[in-house]
Amino acid sequence: MDEIVAEFIRRTILKIPMYEMMTILKAWNFLSENQLQTINFRQRKECLVQDLVLLCEEKCASLNDAALLDIIYTQVHRHQKVWDVFQMSKKPDEDIDLFDMEQFKCSFKKILQRALKNVTVSFRDAEENAVWIRIAWGTQCTKPNQYKPTYVLLYPQTPYAFTSSKLKSFMPLLGQALTVASKHHQIVKMDLRSRHLDSLKAIVFKQCNQTFEDHNSITPLQERCLELDVNVDSRIIHENTVEKERVQRVTQETFGDYPQPQLEFAQYKLVTKFKSDLNGGILAERKEPLRCLIKFSSPHLLEALKSLAPAGIADAPLSPLLTCIPNKGMNYFKIRDK
Amino acid sequence: MDPYDASESTPSASSHLKDYLIGATPLQKRLESVRKQTSFVPTPPRRKIPQCSQLQEDVDPHKVAFFLHKQWTLYSVTPLYQFSYSNLREYARLLNAFIAAEKQKGLAVEVGEDFNIKVIFSTLLGMKGTQRDPEAFLVQILSKSQMPSENREGKVLWTGWFCCIFGDSLLETVSQDFTCLPLFLANGAESNTAIIRTWFQKTFDCHFSPLAINAFNLSWMAAMWTACKMDRYMATTEFLWSVPCSPQSLDISYAIHPEDAKALWDSVHKTPGEVTQEEVDLFMDCLYSHFHRHFKIHLSATRLVRVSTSVASAHTDGKIKILCHKYLIGVLAYLTELAIFQVE
Repeated sequence: MDEIVAEFIRRTILKIPMYEMMTILKAWNFLSENQLQTINFRQRKECLVQDLVLLCEEKCASLNDAALLDIIYTQVHRHQKVWDVFQMSKKPDEDIDLFDMEQFKCSFKKILQRALKNVTVSFRDAEENAVWIRIAWGTQCTKPNQYKPTYVLLYPQTPYAFTSSKLKSFMPLLGQALTVASKHHQIVKMDLRSRHLDSLKAIVFKQCNQTFEDHNSITPLQERCLELDVNVDSRIIHENTVEKERVQRVTQETFGDYPQPQLEFAQYKLVTKFKSDLNGGILAERKEPLRCLIKFSSPHLLEALKSLAPAGIADAPLSPLLTCIPNKGMNYFKIRDK
Repeated sequence: MDPYDASESTPSASSHLKDYLIGATPLQKRLESVRKQTSFVPTPPRRKIPQCSQLQEDVDPHKVAFFLHKQWTLYSVTPLYQFSYSNLREYARLLNAFIAAEKQKGLAVEVGEDFNIKVIFSTLLGMKGTQRDPEAFLVQILSKSQMPSENREGKVLWTGWFCCIFGDSLLETVSQDFTCLPLFLANGAESNTAIIRTWFQKTFDCHFSPLAINAFNLSWMAAMWTACKMDRYMATTEFLWSVPCSPQSLDISYAIHPEDAKALWDSVHKTPGEVTQEEVDLFMDCLYSHFHRHFKIHLSATRLVRVSTSVASAHTDGKIKILCHKYLIGVLAYLTELAIFQVE
């Protein structure tokens, strides 16, 4: 086992938090139960890591084994990365070929190796017929950089691939390799980006309705709305009850009754003219639009937006520019006057 | 005809003040109403658009550059009792000893910091609005270099300065024993700021208060700075709102091209050379309605937290960053006004 692999394994294991150590090592399945039992997991982390690396050395861990460990770590810590979404398409008249996983892997690897000579490509199959791909990029003359890899989660039955990459310059090559190897014609980057990979999947696969149907409560809408009023003196009535109910109803129709997929931001580039009835005459003669960039940020954007109308901060229904995010699968927009 | 060009000949001190404050400021009105025990009836205040003041022309632009592009945390300070500009060296020595003592007590623990520090007090010439304003002064903590050679100036660890720009309303009310420098700006570790504050409070019987900037004043700043004449724009005009929704927080950032912001302002602006409350309200309303047209969200129901223009940026927590040397005094004048209001 050469130094590069040893160091790479050492650094990867070092990243793993202690409470996940056993789970990840077991998932990796490179060191056997017996071997793991010989290690003292209660010692200081640096010593533990050293012992583990020695074991890997004894077992002659390869670069690919190390890469697999890295994939598993990334799978568990996927929220630490920002994920982009790509959509591939076939030509309209093309036949739908049956997808062959082994052929895809072989073809994908070949394309990259032919282009760069030095590249590490690793695969790990996942559930739902998906595959995780890890690529460490090198060039014709330099060895692959194992510490800035690109990760891809590909669902071959669908046209979607989710990628996370620190090195942007290799993206065109990656796109090409994915397209050709999976027998598609074209690949397009969607205006959708988030740390929450599962939410991206939910949005893109339109799973919002199905996945969360179980959470749909049976209590009628009105009871839920006026829950707070149950214990209050019945002689006290709420002003605007009708309006409040309308807002609740419209909000529910727009957003649905289930938890929203989790996104952190939405960005709008507006190039639109200023128009206002109240401030008549302002900028009336100006032909040029106002150039604005608006960004909404929140730990859970869609839930926050959903709460705006009931809180009285926004009108109901909320603007379609915001409500279309899950349906259109976008969180980057460019808006111009029609 | 450009009303913004400072083409006047050397103005006198009193006209400077008049230039800046046309009519009574909200501060003066509030004081009046408190003294008279009457209810406060707000009449639209006016402020003159900041111009490149005559005094500032005399200040070395290199020296001014020191204050730009740094984030300053703001405090208001009550007048300093028996402070003397001729004792600055003595103060430096005393403060140095105080800091060393505090650090040895373990009250401020900074990793890697050595106790070899040097404190410097210096006056800042020209950092004032009128001749009546007291001289501003600067306090710096430098790390003393280990090498004994004189040329090795230590690294600046912390900077703080006291100033008073157009502080006439406060100057009129205090006796000779007091030095009024109500605005304090600090840059550096909070632990150091706390130690400095403690020393000043003990030595000059004064009191520091963090200077928060509310949404009302942030809107004023945004309007005034947009009104400033700029040769070129270095930064986009940007607003940040914090939405009080639960359970998740939501931040809305609204950036508008500075030329478009200026065009909007010019369309709103009616009175040459000054800014009125109505104009500020209208300017903000236009921004709100443009936003509402697209998103159906009422920004006025949320909390304005930060404004940023090519002149300066300000955060509601009392943080300021000045980007344009031409309007340094203008920005400081507004902040001095806020500080004075808080002090009184």
